[in-house]
Amino acid sequence: MSPRADGRRHTPADFYHERTNFDFTGRAWRWAILSGTAILIALIAIFSRGLNLGIDFEGGTSWQVPVKGKSASVTAVRDVIRPLGLGDAKVLVLTGDSGTSVRVQSLDIQPSEEDAVTDALARYGGVQRTDVSVNTVGPTFGDQVRNNAVKALIVFFGLIAIYLSIRFEWKMAGAAIVAVVHDIVITVGVYAITGFEVTPATVVAFLTILGFSLYDTVVVFDKVKENVATIGTVRGDSYSKMVNRSMNQVLMRSISTSFVAVLPVASLLFVGSGLFGALALRDFALALFVGLLTGAYSSIFVATPLLAWWKEREPRYQALRERSAAQLARADASVEAPVGEPERAEEPEPEPEPEPAPAAAGVPAARPQPRAPSPRPTGGPQPSTRAPRPRQQRRRKRR
Amino acid sequence: MRKYWAYLIGSVAVVVIALAATVIVGNEPVLGLDLQGGISVRLFPAGKFSSSSLDTAKNIIDRRVNGLGVSDAEVTREGNNIVIDLPGVKDRDKAKRLVGRTAELNFRPVLAELPAEQQGAPPADDATKAAVAACEATAIPNPQALPNTAAADDKPGACVVLPGRKQEQRTVRYFLGPAALTGKDTSGAKSRFIQGQGYGVDLSLKDSGRTEFNQLAQTSFPKQPPQNSVAIVLDGVVQSAPRFNEPNFPGDVTISGSFTQGEAGDLANILQYGALPVKFDEKQQTVESVSPTLGSDQLKSGIAAGLVGLALVAIYMLLFYRLLGVVVLLGLLLSAGATYALVAYLSNSGFNLTLTLAGVTGLIVSVGITVDSYVVYFERLKDEVRSGKTVRSSVDRGFNRAFRTILAADLVSLIGAGALYVLASGSVKGFAFFLGVSTILDLLVSYFFMHPLVVILARRRQLVRVPVVGIASGLDAKEATA
Repeated sequence: MSPRADGRRHTPADFYHERTNFDFTGRAWRWAILSGTAILIALIAIFSRGLNLGIDFEGGTSWQVPVKGKSASVTAVRDVIRPLGLGDAKVLVLTGDSGTSVRVQSLDIQPSEEDAVTDALARYGGVQRTDVSVNTVGPTFGDQVRNNAVKALIVFFGLIAIYLSIRFEWKMAGAAIVAVVHDIVITVGVYAITGFEVTPATVVAFLTILGFSLYDTVVVFDKVKENVATIGTVRGDSYSKMVNRSMNQVLMRSISTSFVAVLPVASLLFVGSGLFGALALRDFALALFVGLLTGAYSSIFVATPLLAWWKEREPRYQALRERSAAQLARADASVEAPVGEPERAEEPEPEPEPEPAPAAAGVPAARPQPRAPSPRPTGGPQPSTRAPRPRQQRRRKRR
Repeated sequence: MRKYWAYLIGSVAVVVIALAATVIVGNEPVLGLDLQGGISVRLFPAGKFSSSSLDTAKNIIDRRVNGLGVSDAEVTREGNNIVIDLPGVKDRDKAKRLVGRTAELNFRPVLAELPAEQQGAPPADDATKAAVAACEATAIPNPQALPNTAAADDKPGACVVLPGRKQEQRTVRYFLGPAALTGKDTSGAKSRFIQGQGYGVDLSLKDSGRTEFNQLAQTSFPKQPPQNSVAIVLDGVVQSAPRFNEPNFPGDVTISGSFTQGEAGDLANILQYGALPVKFDEKQQTVESVSPTLGSDQLKSGIAAGLVGLALVAIYMLLFYRLLGVVVLLGLLLSAGATYALVAYLSNSGFNLTLTLAGVTGLIVSVGITVDSYVVYFERLKDEVRSGKTVRSSVDRGFNRAFRTILAADLVSLIGAGALYVLASGSVKGFAFFLGVSTILDLLVSYFFMHPLVVILARRRQLVRVPVVGIASGLDAKEATA
């Protein structure tokens, strides 16, 4: 990545002390290619392999068998049907007035396998085959629930877009939503690739990711919005550079929050389902894990560069960029030619710190750019004591 | 300064009292089907039915038992049976009530409109109670004190006091006469657009129902409002109370008024399906208790893994923010306590909230996510301190700015939770509920606990300046070395 302002490589201490100077927006194409590829792979996987939807979505087959002469246990029944490929089936022990029975529900299987399960369960229950009732079972998370959820999601995005447009601006709303969709597509893609079962709990995990990713992006954008006022306070500034500055300021926060959110999830995934073997945790912990990671990635590398690219197309920021470029070129030239432009006088930065920009931008209101008692009316070269501001320069040009 | 102490002590006191109350009352979170089992009711259809009407019945039952979306009951269609698994229910009669409760649609004459029930109004005297029992509308001295009729006393033959559906912030209650006809007397309902009148509902009656409906119309029509109205009551709530515009209805009944398209559709659905479209054979119906699908070891490993994760979070925070990390730790304890009390309360109240394995671990994860707010604040403090301020002078300014950010981000979550809760159903609705609750909790804890505690700590010079573990050290401030 880009080096520090002083040309050296970043050290871990730079992160902690917030002295980083990464160029997030300058290499947007890299991230665009990375994200684009990931999304493409995810979409291909989703449409070619499809998702392994659980019984709650698809419905399936249900066996109910009375158990005679012993007490039934879920584990024992699981052991009986696992060799038949039904390790993931839902097993319930029912106790009622007519005695104990066992209910097994699984996704649809081949008719021959269905018979094998029926036989095994009849043996387990100590009853005749005909005593086992086999039924098709409908989904609990059926079409209606699904349709409602989709409708709710559309309204959700609509409301969020409106809110973000009011609180920030519509381009930020657009960028935030693109980032969220990016996260969801990739996470769902991981499910298509790994073939992990999608349960209602997984759906809930997907939604959690939505919330987290938005939260992260909003925090970054809040900083960007605050820093919009500082555009032009640094020489050769542009919207992208301001965004970059903001990103470097919130980088440590982003890393911390993502890390802190990922820790419990990683623990569920690796300690819970790995070490303790609680497989039920795996299905949704994976969604959360992947989602939180892409959520953290997307607020830095998708939402922000997208916003910068989008805003740079606005005429005023385009003009600013061109002015800044000219300014920098002139400044370079003035180093070679000692006598020339008035800006040369400001060449030695008044601030002693090597890198004053981020600190100053961090609290723009606290340190308003001191407007030197304006000597403008007197005309002539300006004896300004501060870094040149493009706005002033425009006036100068007009004259 | 005093304000901050008050916030701090107040917030801790609220949580401690809530926890104590939880323990004293004996509330415990109710676990879901997967962890604790429950009761399974199997309904067998009787008489004629079609596959689509069974699906409709299934959806209606699902809506009723899962109304608030947090009880996590499972309603499935198995062949031609409908199986309802109710988590956390031990009592078979309660299970039967929950499932069988579904078909109470009544048409009652309106005797009087009453104001909303008021807390603290003088209790109703015996004369009032007698007036209700005797169906005398004129003799109610202080109607605010009159309680709503309990579900158990809501019998078709009795006079009752029932709330109306909440509309435009206005809650009207109704004093109602005995039911003139029930859902069984209707044969169908459709919403449609009526020229010049907006949306309305066409209600078709069976022959038996038509006679009774016309009798009611004839007696009610000449009376003064509101006594010339009929209340459509579903499960103890007045859905609509239209006025009779004619004394006689030879054919279908049209209910019109200022309905929106959605309201008319809802009312039509209630009239059509309030009574289930399929009859179920009560003798065949089975009620059995069900075992948990997951072993208790799964819950234990879920909780253990979650706690390991949270411990890692705590360590990270302590290493990173030193003394301020302790604020995070205490804040997390407070949030956890509040969440426990709340979940335990909601489990044992009308919400019937139950926690599945996913729910339990989801809560743990959400606690991790609320650490975000602390990080936002502390990083903001770092900015302030770096710009040359002292820790002490930064805490308020830093919080004002950080809270704006936290509010913006939390509002996004709240809007999302609201939209999903209102529109979605089933587990998605349950998720939205938890998201909303944890977000509000996050805001409250940030405002009333995190900030006051930090302010108070930052006033103590020693705490700020202690090398290595002090606040200044955690904020990467120069004061640390002083």
